[in-house]
Formats: sequence, C-alpha cells, structure tokens
Amino acid sequence: MPPLSRNETIKAESRLLRGTIADGLAAAATGAIAEDDAQLTKFHGIYLQDDRDLRPERAKKRMEKAYMFMARLRVPGGVLTPAQWLAMERLARERANGTLRLTTRQTIQLHGVIKSNLRPAIQGIHAGLLDTIAACGDVNRNVIASPIPTSPIHPEVLAAARAISAHLLPKSRAWHEIFIDGTPVTPGEEEEEKILGRTYLPRKFKIALAIPPFNDVDVFAHDLGLVAIEEEGRLAGYDVLAGGGMGMTHGEPDTFPRTGDLIGFCTPDQLLAVAEAVVTIQHDWGDRADRKHARLKYTIERRGLDTFRSELAHRLGLSLAPPRPYNFTRSGDPSGWLDGENGLSHFLLFVENGRIADRPGRALLTGLSAIAAAHDGRFILTPNQNLLIADISFSQRPRIAELLSRHNLEAPPSLLRRNAMACVALPTCGLALAESERYLPTLITALEQTIASLDLASEEITIRMTGCPNGCARPYLAEIGLVGVRPGIYNLYLGGAFDGMRLSKLYRRELTHDGILAALAPLFASYASSRLANERFADFVIRNGVIRPTTSGKNFHEDLLPDLAA
Amino acid sequence: MPPSALRATPFAEDQLALIERLLSEATPDQLHWLSGYLAGFQAASSPRARSATSASGVATAPRAPLTILYATESGNAEALARAARKEATRAGFAPTLLDMADTTPATLPAATPLLVIASTWGEGDPPSRALSFYAALLAPDAPRLDGRRFAVFALGDRAYANFCATGRALDARLAELGAERVAPLVECDLDYAAPARAWTAATLAALAPTTEESDPAVIRVDFARLPSAESDDGDAATPASFEATITERLLLSSSRSTSETWHLELDAAGLAWEPGDSLAFAPRNDPALVDAVLATAGLASDETLRAALTERHDITTLTTPGLAAYAALTNTTMLPASFLEGRQLIDLLESSPARLTAADLTSLLRPLPPRLYSIASAPEFSPGSPHLLVSAVRWQSHGRARLGVASLDLIARRSSSEPFPVTLRPNPHFRLPADPSRPIIMIGPGSGLAPFRAFLQRREAVGAHGKTWLFFGARNFTHDFSYQLELQDWLASGVLARLSLAFSRDQPEKIYVQHRLWESRAEIRRWLDEGAVLYICGDAKAMACDVHATLLRIISDATGTGADSAAAWLRTAVADGRYKRDIY
Repeated sequence: MPPLSRNETIKAESRLLRGTIADGLAAAATGAIAEDDAQLTKFHGIYLQDDRDLRPERAKKRMEKAYMFMARLRVPGGVLTPAQWLAMERLARERANGTLRLTTRQTIQLHGVIKSNLRPAIQGIHAGLLDTIAACGDVNRNVIASPIPTSPIHPEVLAAARAISAHLLPKSRAWHEIFIDGTPVTPGEEEEEKILGRTYLPRKFKIALAIPPFNDVDVFAHDLGLVAIEEEGRLAGYDVLAGGGMGMTHGEPDTFPRTGDLIGFCTPDQLLAVAEAVVTIQHDWGDRADRKHARLKYTIERRGLDTFRSELAHRLGLSLAPPRPYNFTRSGDPSGWLDGENGLSHFLLFVENGRIADRPGRALLTGLSAIAAAHDGRFILTPNQNLLIADISFSQRPRIAELLSRHNLEAPPSLLRRNAMACVALPTCGLALAESERYLPTLITALEQTIASLDLASEEITIRMTGCPNGCARPYLAEIGLVGVRPGIYNLYLGGAFDGMRLSKLYRRELTHDGILAALAPLFASYASSRLANERFADFVIRNGVIRPTTSGKNFHEDLLPDLAA
Repeated sequence: MPPSALRATPFAEDQLALIERLLSEATPDQLHWLSGYLAGFQAASSPRARSATSASGVATAPRAPLTILYATESGNAEALARAARKEATRAGFAPTLLDMADTTPATLPAATPLLVIASTWGEGDPPSRALSFYAALLAPDAPRLDGRRFAVFALGDRAYANFCATGRALDARLAELGAERVAPLVECDLDYAAPARAWTAATLAALAPTTEESDPAVIRVDFARLPSAESDDGDAATPASFEATITERLLLSSSRSTSETWHLELDAAGLAWEPGDSLAFAPRNDPALVDAVLATAGLASDETLRAALTERHDITTLTTPGLAAYAALTNTTMLPASFLEGRQLIDLLESSPARLTAADLTSLLRPLPPRLYSIASAPEFSPGSPHLLVSAVRWQSHGRARLGVASLDLIARRSSSEPFPVTLRPNPHFRLPADPSRPIIMIGPGSGLAPFRAFLQRREAVGAHGKTWLFFGARNFTHDFSYQLELQDWLASGVLARLSLAFSRDQPEKIYVQHRLWESRAEIRRWLDEGAVLYICGDAKAMACDVHATLLRIISDATGTGADSAAAWLRTAVADGRYKRDIY
C-alpha cells in the first residue's frame, strides 16, 4: 500500500484538530502559524494566506510575508438575518480588510485578518450566532441550497441543508476551545467522531441541494448532489447524484472535473441516512495516499458506480428508489425584483464576483448596511456569489427600493456581466496561478463591446474564471470557462451547458487577454449570424463542431482539437 | 543714562536698536550685572589683560573652590558645565563638576560658590535623572544655603510654554534658601553657545576673590578665545567631526504603510561608538520652504540669504517671542499665543505679508540646531558604518503639508554621493549595564527601537546571558514592524528573551506599549526585582509620559503603596542607573 499522505499524519496526531494552533496564535512576532497547524485551521474554516502583492518587497524590507488569515463562515443554505449581516460587516471593517466576499459555497469570507485579530474575529462570528466550523478542510463543507424563496418547498430544503450540515459536523470541541472560550475539554469528557473518525475524510466533501428549475447550486459539481422533487406543491424527496467535483491539475490528465451520477431517489426522511452513508463510504474507501485522487469522484471511478451503489444500499439497508424526472433551465441567478407569495417580494442584488466593498460610484458595503438596518426580512447568499434581499414586506418595499437606488445598486449591469463569475485568486489565495476576481471585470468590459456590436446584448452567456484549475468558480460548467495557467495566461474552455448539466471542453491553451478576445470574437460573430432559435452559445459551438461535447468526466481531456491534443 | 544718549555713540543704526531694546527691557539687577560684564570684557580684551593672564599665570595663587552643578537630559547642559569647568580652572578656581543625578542638596560641597547649569525638558520638567535632587531642593525640609553664592544658567526651548522652568525654579529656590545671587538668571533657547560663554566669563568674574589691587585683569578669563557668533559650534568640548556618506537608504515600512520608517547605513570611517550613542548632523531646510519664506518676505532674489536660510536658520519653529518680534517689525498687533498651535514661520509671514529686509527676517530666526539620531547598530556589527532608523515626519496642518527638517533631509534630499559632517554624541547615561548577565527591559516604539537594535547586536556579539525584553510598537503589524525578521531571529536564538508588541491601528481600540506593560505587570515586577535595567527610547511628549505613568501604576500596584512612594522608587531607580531614558 502506498504511504499515507502527510495530511493523514497531521490529522491523526492533531488530538481532534487541536495541534499546536493555540501556541501559534500566542506567538506575536510572526503573523503565521506552524505549517502543520495551517492544515488543521482549515477544519476550523480558517486559511493562512499572505498578501501576494506584497511578496516581492517584503524580504528586502526585512519583513516576513504579509501573513493574514481568511475566515470562511458556515452558513447552510446561505440565510442570514440582517443583524448577522451587520455583525459581519462590522467585523470586516474592524478585524479584516474592510470587505466581505460572498462565495460560490453560499457563504461569506473575511480576508486579511491578521493573527492578533483572528480570535476577536471568530468570537465576533460566534457572537453573531454563526461559526466557521468545517467551512474548509477534509470534512463536509458548507451545505448549499437553492436560495429561491419564491419556491413553496424552499423552507423544507433550507431546513434539510441545515440538518445535513449539523449532522455531519465534526464533534471535536477544538474550535470552541481554541477560538472562543479557551477551555479545554475536561478529562473524562469524551469527544467522539462517530461519522468522520479521528482522521476525518480523505479530502473535502461537498453537498448541494437544488430546487428545479434552478440549478443555481450547480448540483452536478458536488460529491453529493440532491435535486428536490416537487410534486403538487409538496416536497416529494430528492434525486441523488454522487461523485461530482471540479478540481483538476494542469498537465495531469488523470485529474478531471466530473459531473455527479444520478443514482436514485430518496424521501425527505431518508435524507440524513443517505448523506451519512455516502460520507462514510468515502471515509472508508477514499484515497488517503494521494490527495489529488482523494475526492469521491475518483473513488467512484476506481471502484465503479455499481459497486458504490450496492455498498450504499448495504449501508442504508435499502435500495434507493428510481430517480424521478426534473428539469433545469439555468445555473445563473435571476436578477432584480421577484414577487413571492403573501405580499412578500425579494430583490436579487448582483454582486460582481461576490465582493462587497465600496467602490467609486457604487457604495455596496455602505448601501447594504443601510438596507440591513432597515430590513426586517432575510439576507440570502446565492451560490452565484450574489445577494438576495428576501422577504421584503409590501410596506417596506418602497423604503428598500429607495435605499437601493440611493446607493446606485438598483440598475442591473449587462447580461454578460450578470452571468459572469470569478473566484478570489490574487492577491490572497495561495493557489492562484493568475488573476481572476481582479481581472474578469476588465475582460467582461472588453467582451461587452463585441457583444453589443453583434447585437447579442440580450443573450445570456455564462462566463466563469478561476485563477487555478481547482475550480472554485466552477469554470468547467460554464459556456465559456477561463482557467489561469500563469500570470496573464488562461486556458479557454467552451461548451459547458447553460443549465449546468454538461461539462466544457478545452478549446485554446495559454491565451493572453488579447488572445481571449481574438478567440471569442469570431465565435460570437457566427453565433450572432447563424444561431438557431433559442439556441444557447454552448450548444451552438458544439453543433458547429467548434469543440466536441464532454459527455462525462472521464472524457473531459479527450476529443480535443488536433492541435491541442499534445 | 537715557537710551537716547546712545545716539552720540559710534554704534551703527541696527546695533543701536539692539542695545536700546535690551536696555529698555533690563531690570536694575541686569543693568548692574551688565556693567560689570562690560568692564570685564573690555579689560580682558585689552592686550594688557591678555598678557597678564598668560604671563602671570595662576600657579602661585591659592585656588578658590567652586562647584559647577548641572542637570542634563540630552547632554547639552553637561557639555556647557564641562566647558565652564575648563574656564574656571583657567581663571584660577579649583572647580568640582557635579551631575545633579549623583548628588543631593545636603551633600553639596560645603560653602563653595555654586554655578548651576540646568536644562528644562518637555513641558517644563527637570531632566529625569535630576528629578531626585530637584525634589529634595524644593522640599520644605531642604537644607539652608545661607551665604552661599550662586548663579543659574537655564537652557530651554521657546517652542514649549514653560520655557526654562527648571532653571527658574532652581534660581528662585536657591535664593529662598538664603543663597546670594551673584548674577541674574540667564535663560537661553537653542542658540545658547555664545550666551553661555559670556555668562560663564561674567559669573566667574563676579565670583573672583576680590583683592585690594582689584584689577579687572585678575578675572583671568581668556576672552580672546571667545569665538565670533558666526563660528558658533556648540560648546568648548566640540566632539570630533567625521565625514559620512549615506550608503544605503531602505524604506523599512511596507508600501501600504501610513507612515515611513527608513533604515539608513552611513559610511563614517573611523567613527567609534557605543550602543546607546547618538549621531548629530546639521540638517538643511527644505528648499521649497526656503523659497516660500523668501517669496513671502519679498526677498526671493537674495541668494546669500537663501543659503543662510537653507543651512543656518530655523525657519519652521514659531514661538511667542517670534510673534512679538514680527508684530514689532511690521507695526501690527501681536497675534495671540493660540496662533502658534500647528503653525510655523511661513504661516506668520503669510498672516500679514510684509516686505522685510534680510536683517529683519534673520532677526526673527533661531539658529538651526543640529539633529541627533540614536545609532541603530553596534560597532561590532557594522564597523565604521553606523545605522540609523529614521521616521519620516510629515503632517498636515492649517491646510499645508509640513515636512520634518532632518528626517526628510536624510531620507529624501541629501545625495548619497555627497559627504557631510557628522559628530558622535556619546550618551554615557544610556548604556548597557556593565554586567552582561543583568536583565534589561527595553521600551522603544517607533524609531525608539534604534538603540535597542544596537543593544541586542552588542549582547549577541559578546555572548551576554542576561535576559532581554523588548517592547515595540507602531501603527500596523503588517506594514510597520521594523526589523521583524531580525527580531524573530533573536527570539529564536535567545538573544531576545521576550518581545511584546503593540500595534495601535490594527484593531478598533488603540493599543500602545504602555498597555502591554500593564498586561505584563507581574512579570515586569519580577524582572525589576531581579535587578533589570529599564530603558525607554522614543517620543517624549506622549509615549514617555504614558510609559512613566504606567510604570508608576505598576510599582504602586505591586507594592500596595501610594503614587508618592512609587515615584520615590522610580527616582531611586534613576539615581541607581536602573531607569534610563533617551527621549526626544
């Protein structure tokens, strides 16, 4: 058997995720913590990062890297109260870099938290009745759910997301002990990780719940995808998808993104058992030697879907029912005012790349604080990094509308921009190979001109960009995907389905900004002139043989254009 | 003689004005002293006097005892006292030089005349090491000094409200205790060198033993050595000057910092220093400000004056006498003292612009004093190359961007290819303990870190085993942590035992070094009980006061005694050399 990966030893020796994190926090002369501890803090929702913009100057200045932490909240289903929003906004100003980052996992990230502010920040989150437990690390991450409150089954699906998150949460008290009250577990008080075990999972594990016709959670991109089946206004149960995932590594074709396989249907009361069984199979079967092949998608590829299915049936003590039909129309968010029942309305606020900050001409942070102070409904974070101001009563609507307009938040940007999404990348993400969040807006501005000149401004086309191939913004499920290779250079993928049900295919390698524009312009032009009625851009490029369709993760790297095959 | 009688004298118009102004404001005491001074000056300047001095010598005359007592913070008063001792010896006295830090009123040498040279610190305080003597002298039970003759020379800075408060208080108290004032108190600002020499000479003359053939020549003061005002160079014990060039200028603070802290390396071959010493240099004013001042005064074309304003005159500091002088010059109403707040000379000139003569303008200006920087390296670490830690001083007030004179000269204006003179200012009162095993606590936020870097380098170089504890602070951990990697290395190697950090702007509440001191109070007490020496370096206005107050709280809290006995404890610590400050 190949040796276990280093992380397995770190986990095993961590005394249930404690390590020497507390000692590291007390060492004031450095902004960092020990390398092994930096693996463990992920389980507590905390990444050690550094400001990569400052790297070149630091050594000269006799300073270590500009270390800082990212703290990611656990918000199952993405629902916050306005008070919680205000509390997080205050933490951003007082303990972080003054911005909030909404993410594709329907949560909030605080960036730029220096070590001396980490405990106060986490304590502030705790005081806001939130936490960061298991938001990263080899555990079940934040459970996401379609945020559309106009659906009659949204309350039940949201409750299910919360229940799954709670059920699969680590039982270690380390998070409280290290960051909140400092009280170690007293001897005799046992913490037992009945589901996760003391080495937790081989790799991250992601669960999403979709409410058709919206595939805003990208339900095929998760280890466990659950498609809520609504029958006669009631939640009948969930179609179960297993083995989805985005991450891959450049130049390693045995790593690939994969859409989940549909394996059956479960009723709402079976849901927790199904989730637990899938997690424990992955716990027992997942690759603990090579972290690049440790996700459930590789476990299923290696062991076969049938083996996985029968093991699931064995562990559940029953076979899943046959899947029921559903229909997705889109993976992006709607926009603007949505009318719900009971006189309630909702406003879907576009947040470019999820960054809540005040920018010249658009005071998003300030505006949302004013709205939060006035709002008595909910704030729902969307998996497309947008924000839904939900449950606005009839009498409140003029007030909210006035605040939106006063802060210049009401006017929607172009459809192209609204359907574009980037991961964080530089300067904080340690994995980034290229810019993403800071660059995509520029690229979109350039593309908008092309689109407008071709009279395509009323077409919706999804564009997603990531700074590395790990895929946080789910680029392989976009009609146009751009994945960073090195600074200023991107691989271009095409053909991901608008509804998120088909992966994309590599179309061009290593393009510059101008290269991207040059590659897309002729495609847009022919799309403008010869698309069929209601034909999506991704379907158009496949029909025209621009790329071959990716039918499953296994053939993601196959059927490339001849000059790309190398 | 009414001042108008001077009209018949051979003085030029502007000289006359000066004399008239002086005489019209002088008290009878001052006039009396001046007459004696002028007699002595004239006599000593005559060829006969000089030959008498050099020929007759003093070897055969019995030497009169004289005590020269000084209270010094930055070393200026001490340097003057040393110069006075030299003059006194030359004049036939047997002088004893005493630091107030090392004596008490009760143990002053009996019955000898007393020359007191005292500086005032900060907002009117005595130098820290003189506190104990000062308190004892002002105490109700101070010993009587009936019949003892004395004179006081006071140093101060007119930029502060309580100008020369220490000298004034000492002067008044000595008289109150029965001593006989032989010369009126002289109060001096930064341009003290020439007045100090004159005062020394005149006072020694007044104290000289009177004989029947009382010839002014017996004053035995070598007035011929009096340098002209133009060649003023500080004091008689002028330290050796070295040619220095800036070999490295490195912005230590991050490009995102809200402040600028620079690391400078100088090439000053031959310079030998001790950790704790400072380096002095003569800064040049910002040429843009010089231009503005000249233009406002209608003197833009005077190149000689431009050079003088650039190199020799303080064109920033504004004082109450400056307001008065400008009002007199321009026949305007004097601005209230509140005008001084945040303003400089240029604001005064612009408040009521007037065409001035070059002499008018320079009459408003004090000399540009040399600036001192603590050396931030130990000679073992960078032989011949002292390092400096320079905080760029920039601020805004009354709608104008202001620049620190010396800091911007060093970091931005002075060419690295241009050698410039530097002098060493030894700081014997701010040295590492002789015993390398003695623990030290160093409190040095901002550029106050400089001497402690030298201390730590020295302790590393000699393999000292004494524990070390550094308190450092700045605005932001990420952007302002000077020498972070070096301090981490010293922590790892044990050269630095503890490092306490206070970054004021990283969190909603301001955290300063004194807060870290208070948090660590029990441990501080333990270190002090083990004989730790406490050092403070940095900002005098806020930091040193806050730290001092916190130390008082820590001591009174630990001993359960009141503030008075805590203050007494600290005074003893100062006297014992366990509480040392280098603040500015």
